[in-house]
Amino acid sequence: MDKRENALKQSKSIESVLRIVLTSIGMFVGILLPIIIFLSLYRESSLAINHFGVWNFITSTDWDPVAGKFGGLAPLIGTLIATFLSTLVAAPISLGIAIFLVELSPNRLKPILSTAIELLAAIPSIIYGMWGLFVVAPLFGEKVEPWLKEKMGEFPVIGKLLEGSPTGIDVLTTSLVLSIMIIPFMSSVVKDAFNMVPPIMKESAYALGATKWEVIKQVMIPITVSSIAGGLILSVGRAIGETMAVTFLAGNVNQIPKSLLDPFTTITVTLANQFAEADTALYLSSLYFLTLILFVISFFVLYASKIMLLQLEKKWKV
Amino acid sequence: MSDIRMKVKNLKFYYTGEKLALKNINMPIYNKKVTALIGPSGCGKTTLLRCFNRMHDLYPGNRYEGEILLDGKNILDKNVDLMELRAKIGMVFQKPTPFPMSIFDNIAYGLRLQGIKKKGELQDRVEETLKNVALWEEVKDRLNVSAFSLSGGQQQRLCIARTIAVRPDVVLFDEPTSALDPISTAKIEELLVELKKNHTIVIVTHNMQQAARISDYTAFMYLGELIEFDLTDTVFTKPNKKLTEDYISGRFG
Amino acid sequence: MINIKAKRKIENYISLTLSFLSATFGLFFLFWILGDLFINGFKYININLFIYDPVPPGIEGGGLKHAFLGHIIITFLGTVIGTPIGILAGIYFAEYGRSSRIARVARNIVDIMVSNPSIVIGAVVYALLVLPVGHFMGLAGGIALAILMIPVIVITTDEMLKLVPQQTREAAYALGAQPWQVSFQIVLKAAKVGVLTGVILGVARISGETAPLLFTSFNNNFTNLDPTKPMASLTVTVFQYAMGPYDEWHKQAWAASFLLTFFVLMASITARYIIQRKKHQ
Repeated sequence: MDKRENALKQSKSIESVLRIVLTSIGMFVGILLPIIIFLSLYRESSLAINHFGVWNFITSTDWDPVAGKFGGLAPLIGTLIATFLSTLVAAPISLGIAIFLVELSPNRLKPILSTAIELLAAIPSIIYGMWGLFVVAPLFGEKVEPWLKEKMGEFPVIGKLLEGSPTGIDVLTTSLVLSIMIIPFMSSVVKDAFNMVPPIMKESAYALGATKWEVIKQVMIPITVSSIAGGLILSVGRAIGETMAVTFLAGNVNQIPKSLLDPFTTITVTLANQFAEADTALYLSSLYFLTLILFVISFFVLYASKIMLLQLEKKWKV
Repeated sequence: MSDIRMKVKNLKFYYTGEKLALKNINMPIYNKKVTALIGPSGCGKTTLLRCFNRMHDLYPGNRYEGEILLDGKNILDKNVDLMELRAKIGMVFQKPTPFPMSIFDNIAYGLRLQGIKKKGELQDRVEETLKNVALWEEVKDRLNVSAFSLSGGQQQRLCIARTIAVRPDVVLFDEPTSALDPISTAKIEELLVELKKNHTIVIVTHNMQQAARISDYTAFMYLGELIEFDLTDTVFTKPNKKLTEDYISGRFG
Repeated sequence: MINIKAKRKIENYISLTLSFLSATFGLFFLFWILGDLFINGFKYININLFIYDPVPPGIEGGGLKHAFLGHIIITFLGTVIGTPIGILAGIYFAEYGRSSRIARVARNIVDIMVSNPSIVIGAVVYALLVLPVGHFMGLAGGIALAILMIPVIVITTDEMLKLVPQQTREAAYALGAQPWQVSFQIVLKAAKVGVLTGVILGVARISGETAPLLFTSFNNNFTNLDPTKPMASLTVTVFQYAMGPYDEWHKQAWAASFLLTFFVLMASITARYIIQRKKHQ
């Protein structure tokens, strides 16, 4: 009798200790760690924030380590442009891939093709960068971009976007490589959402004589629209924070690009190239300010994506 | 006996992997009558129903043998246009399946597929159809709200309206009341009786009382075979086969 | 009438063709990248790569022994630190935090952190560890990788534990077990393959990372086994070599990239395969 009571007592005390330990670890990972990240970035950037002011920093294109003048506008705009262009390319293609994987691919090929597309996300980003530098950049600099200039250089708006000398180290190649990297994130989210649409919903539309595309466009896409938006925003978030691939291809020139063929910089490019060589406190602090901006933007973008993705789960939790 | 609208001749159906699910079915579907398909789970009644609008074609590997004639033409023929066939033979499912759009757009969906675009014509047809399913009074003030806002029974009547809006020759019902409460079920049954004035109806049901109440003809199926087909009265009062009698009297199933 | 039908069919055909082309586009780039890696990388793999340190730039020969060893050490440190924290946090979210609001919020934040830019983590570890200590070190790289790995492990652990049927838990409770006994002795055991898969996924994720290592473990031209000193890694070396002007460097960068990608893809295919099978059971 005593033995049993002892065992019970022991396991109860283990329970109370473990509960505290597990709760602390869970809270550390989910709450404390992001707060630590934010606070330490904030502390490190406070020098730059005090020195330049938030508004002046993000509206200035200065980046002169020698004179001690720093502004984040060029990398900020660069990040926005690269993100926008790569999402523009990746979004329709991701949607097309998801449709193919769910509705068109033969059943036997489905797992293989899904894995293949998702492998695009597993390839380390430095590999994209190196491949982009050694393969895509020369191809674009020597062949594609001169050809584009020749064919479309005279057109009113497009011509303006193709000004400058084709080098392959520019907005165009960066955005292209970036778009390939973010495709799998959106396509796998949309694919999962499509798979959650009950077959009976699709059959109801087919039963009225709808074509496959009509079923996709008028039933599946409206049902999953929040997930599609969530997937889209997720790939935006991924594009914003992508570092290595962009670092190889952007050119690290602190300017706001005026054409697709201009070299430029992004927040991540500036960080990767300059962090280890920042030799003054203000220089380092300015880089930290950029990091803080990057962290805050991507956190809220990813948060928005998460909220959208939770919608469908709520709707179809049967 | 009234005229025959559809005729099933020597129909065999194989699911993927050559699993024989229907074994040589022969039966007529009479014009403007309700034909009920009954039988225990797995007897093939839903499989048969889904042959009538070639729903099985959505999934690769399924195969038909034999013929199903609609007005004398074989709908199992390879050259049959499925979009057209399904517009002619409508289907209502076990669960309400409103599309993610407004009540109005749900009804107008099939009409728009047919190329009816004029607002006036669409409005007339939507109103007429909603009146036919006795839903007009309940929803006329909120045609533009999401169809998900309706109750389950209303959703199912909406789906029936969506199906008959395109004026199909035949309407297939796959256990349309299995997800509904008794009151909604009674309303749907009333509606079915009303609908047969203008439509040919085939209904799969689990509920024998329902088959007895609303159908004119009943087909009893067992293990992929058609055991007995006759007037509903005959099937339920003096069935020809022992198996039918056992099932009707609740001895198995 | 005929016209409308034809139009609908053409629209159907065009859209589905576009969808097919999208898939082709994705696969085309996958094979292009992997093909280039194989063609350019495979031929430069030789034994010297693994047994020699680098020679001064411009001179033929030398190897990447320093980077291979450094990479293994840093990845190992990251895994050793990240795995227990990740698994325990995963157990918390799957078993203890189910009914708690704050746990749900925390769990959603973990989902966000998995996509958090990795360079941010590098900068944070630099501020918290490298700056106070005064120099780059391998351990700092390991910690940065651990922080990146934790969310991956948490998510997989959580998902895999939730796949264990509720009845299994109830059966254990019915025998008078405490929650911790249910979680650790029953649920975790039932899901151990899935949980290990999360670790594989985490290793696959961190072993390809470059950005968080740039200002933590930094680089080193010699083999260094001491994690309190700057340490070379494959990814940072590839970065340095590919950006550098020497042909010999480029060759070695290709070879290292090929090996790295091969490892990462194998690990990630294995993990995916196991997870798919678990989810379909």
